[in-house]
Amino acid sequence: MAKEVGADRLGDFYIDGGKVRKRREWRGVSDTLYDYSRWLKIMMTLGKFIAKPRNIKAMFRYRWMANYLAVPMMVDRHTQGLRGEYLRICHEEQDLIIDDVAQLLENLFRGDRRIGNDTEFSKKVVLVDENEMTAVMMGFPTLKCLSRETPSTYVSVLLNQHAAEHYIDVAQEFGLAGDVCPMPEAEAGVSIDDDAPVLGACAIQCNTTCDGSLLGNGVISRRLEKEDGISVFQLAAPLRHQEDDVQDYAAQEIRNAIAFIEQHTGVKWDWNAYFECAKRVNYATRCRQEWLEMNRTDYPQVFGSNLALYTETNYMAICGRIPAFEKADRNITRLARQAFEKKKMAAKEYRHRAIIWGVQSHYYMDFLVWLLNCWGIVPLTDMLSMVSTRELKETDTPENRETAYYDMAWLTENMIMRNRTHGGYKVLLDELWEYVEQFNADMVILWEHMSCKALDGMHGLFEERARERGIPLVWVTHDLFDPRIVSRQGVRDQINSYMRTVMREEPLDPSLEVLNDEESW
Amino acid sequence: MKKSLKLLGVLLLICSGFFIVTFTVYIFNLDMKLTALIEPFLLKHYDKIERDRHL
Amino acid sequence: MKDLKYLKYFEDLLQEANNDLIRQAQKDGKICAAYTCENTPEVLLNLPGVFSTRLRAPRTGSLEVSTYYLTSFLCEYTRALLERAVEGGFNYADCIFTPDGCSMMNRCVENMELLKVLGKGKENFFFSYMEIPMKADDNGLNLYVVQCRNHILKPLQEHYGIDISDEAIRKAVEEHNQVCRLIREIGEFRREANPRITGYEFQVFTLATYVAPKYLLIDKLQETLKELKRRKTDPKFAYGARVVVAGSEMDDIDFIKLVEESGAYVCADRYCLGSFPGRDEIVLNDTEDALTQICRQYMYRGQCPRYMDSTKMDARRDYVAKLAKEYNADGIIYEQMKFCDPWAYEKMLGSHILREEFGYPVLAVDRPYAIGNSGQMRTRVQAFVESIGIKKIRKEAANG
Repeated sequence: MAKEVGADRLGDFYIDGGKVRKRREWRGVSDTLYDYSRWLKIMMTLGKFIAKPRNIKAMFRYRWMANYLAVPMMVDRHTQGLRGEYLRICHEEQDLIIDDVAQLLENLFRGDRRIGNDTEFSKKVVLVDENEMTAVMMGFPTLKCLSRETPSTYVSVLLNQHAAEHYIDVAQEFGLAGDVCPMPEAEAGVSIDDDAPVLGACAIQCNTTCDGSLLGNGVISRRLEKEDGISVFQLAAPLRHQEDDVQDYAAQEIRNAIAFIEQHTGVKWDWNAYFECAKRVNYATRCRQEWLEMNRTDYPQVFGSNLALYTETNYMAICGRIPAFEKADRNITRLARQAFEKKKMAAKEYRHRAIIWGVQSHYYMDFLVWLLNCWGIVPLTDMLSMVSTRELKETDTPENRETAYYDMAWLTENMIMRNRTHGGYKVLLDELWEYVEQFNADMVILWEHMSCKALDGMHGLFEERARERGIPLVWVTHDLFDPRIVSRQGVRDQINSYMRTVMREEPLDPSLEVLNDEESW
Repeated sequence: MKKSLKLLGVLLLICSGFFIVTFTVYIFNLDMKLTALIEPFLLKHYDKIERDRHL
Repeated sequence: MKDLKYLKYFEDLLQEANNDLIRQAQKDGKICAAYTCENTPEVLLNLPGVFSTRLRAPRTGSLEVSTYYLTSFLCEYTRALLERAVEGGFNYADCIFTPDGCSMMNRCVENMELLKVLGKGKENFFFSYMEIPMKADDNGLNLYVVQCRNHILKPLQEHYGIDISDEAIRKAVEEHNQVCRLIREIGEFRREANPRITGYEFQVFTLATYVAPKYLLIDKLQETLKELKRRKTDPKFAYGARVVVAGSEMDDIDFIKLVEESGAYVCADRYCLGSFPGRDEIVLNDTEDALTQICRQYMYRGQCPRYMDSTKMDARRDYVAKLAKEYNADGIIYEQMKFCDPWAYEKMLGSHILREEFGYPVLAVDRPYAIGNSGQMRTRVQAFVESIGIKKIRKEAANG
């Protein structure tokens, strides 16, 4: 019960083997009241959502909707131990993401043939993948770009670590090998389990992020096209995205995708809307770069899951299409500058500066907060946040319109994660060590998402490079969506044992070292 | 004047009541404790729904 | 049946990556172009002065070193290749081409490059990576052509002075087609009710055409064809069922052997390094440049699951069904190398669709790179053959 950062034993909030925490943190009067007010806001958002009968109907139809019972707890997990600006930045992001997901759900259920069945609305819907840049929708402001996989699997696992297990099992029951990435596996499982809303004028699938994702889409498109009568365009973004001689192909794919959407919705591409979005994308890029610049100093401000989750959402799913994110960018930057000037710290002690590389465990997104609170390791940046910084053309001229296809293609090719896991070893292996230097990091934490073959395939060379440079490298193995393979404690243990045996350190907060949270959301 | 004060008092009382109740729910995590109780029933319900399960 | 004259010779060729014919061709002054994926237009690596060899690692033993570099989650084919490369087993290659067919293969070759385990003592050695289309359409074709020009033809010309003219390409196609025709003709015997060639024998001949210089195989293949024409079959068909084997990369001759020993005659081979579609002739006209025509044919006939457009996806299953029909198969075996993502999905969908929509009995199996003498696999195939037999009896009974 303390105002000061790091004064609480955060592990004491856990109920042994329980699903939820004992109570919320007392963060001093001002921060507690702030957190309380944001909690009220979330409750109002949820209240408004529940007030609509069709949303209730959907709650009883779709298994994954049960995970949304855990929304406030997801925020609590990410705000753990935070005070002042850090707490506010976190809420700024999390609350906006919650609003955005609530809106997404509302739209999905409104058009869903099983629930709202608003056919006119459905004609304006273009379905997209969860793992897909939405750049191709930047010039369609009157269309709804909706992802069914985002709420059913991606967000669900953020809310509840066990959310994907049922769907993984369903896919495996139908003969899918157990060694593929559980993310597309779960997405395919949702489709097989007849648990995806059915709506839309057409769908755009993409080959991002990986072989598994590409093939998983084949399961989904089969049902969409053959059963639901929804035409699907498969957008192929080149894998060797750093090469000049693939860019014409990539740009043509964008042109073809736009033509496909126009054909199936009857809506024409709007260049004004596109360039407006491009401005917002550029603004988001500048803000992100400023945050990263701060993170190179002794006083990093926007880091850890505050950086990771927001970048994933804003860069990939939003792509400048929603003005509210520009406002959030501005607010976050203001708060970060404020804290930076005051040389504020998010934990009582920063012992190590780490670059987090690889693909994070989705069922333990708040691990980065734990890392900071338990061991004083500052996650300066992570692989998924190191996305494209190329500025898009913002003014509407004939030349810029042509360039815009290449800009959209570039964004699509450089989707989060695949901009590193594909495109040759330089972007995955070599650039890591450049960031280690740039950020003055003294440690690398390398997520080993065990079924991500593109990452696994560099395992030995990561180790060799770390040895050559004398940088401690900690492997953290996990299976992305499936905590039955490596539990959250299994994830923590890998850090704990390294810190104790190799670094010979004691935790900042020992109460967090071992937690019985296997049953927890 | 008296009426206004009374109204203000009632309003204050309602606000305080609202604050006390919601803050208690908030700080003791009662919202999550309640939803944690609901989840198993929902999961049982989902198991009973007939689905057209296929590739 | 009496053993074929050259079977042993071809089997021996397959015992080593650096086989006798590769050494002979290099002595003839030819450049050895190694490649790793069926999406590399092999014919372009057989221009005058160069020959192709698809990398494989026969007699693979321990994968200790490659497992350290790639982890145990990558497929054993990629690990076996890296292991062999680290052992110095691919140093005969003068260059290597690899498309981004799958992440694992790409990483495997990148590891070879970073570990500097290829091209020792070869000044002009180079690695070449390339993008290949994921959809079969005009845009994909443009990409394919550009990539083949920039990442196959140009490097061959720059590093080894290879003639990459249209005329040279057409000459390579001619030689390639000659081998394809021979293999196809040999394979046609598998349609017979009591075939004069086993699936195993056919696989040995076919596989050799991927790993050895083609021009050194032609006379032996011609002779084998002649021999087959007059070969006498055993009086009775010795198998319980005829099956199509479809699936992922397979250069393990023991797998087909095991399947046939378990009672299933392999009448058609639809896997990487099989004859469908890899030994289809390339038909050229004189009105368009040869490179574009080659790329178009590779792209449209490709059966790799990385092709993601719906038309191609449906066509893959139709293709297997068509083979099953044409070669009178009683069932289909879908095989997938463990940890292969693309084929994990394709196996699930393909086996389901062929069973549910086309009515074929289907066995779906995953396998290691080198199957050896797996009792487990043997039991599964035997049970599959038995189930096909029971179905046949029931069908006959139902038909009176």
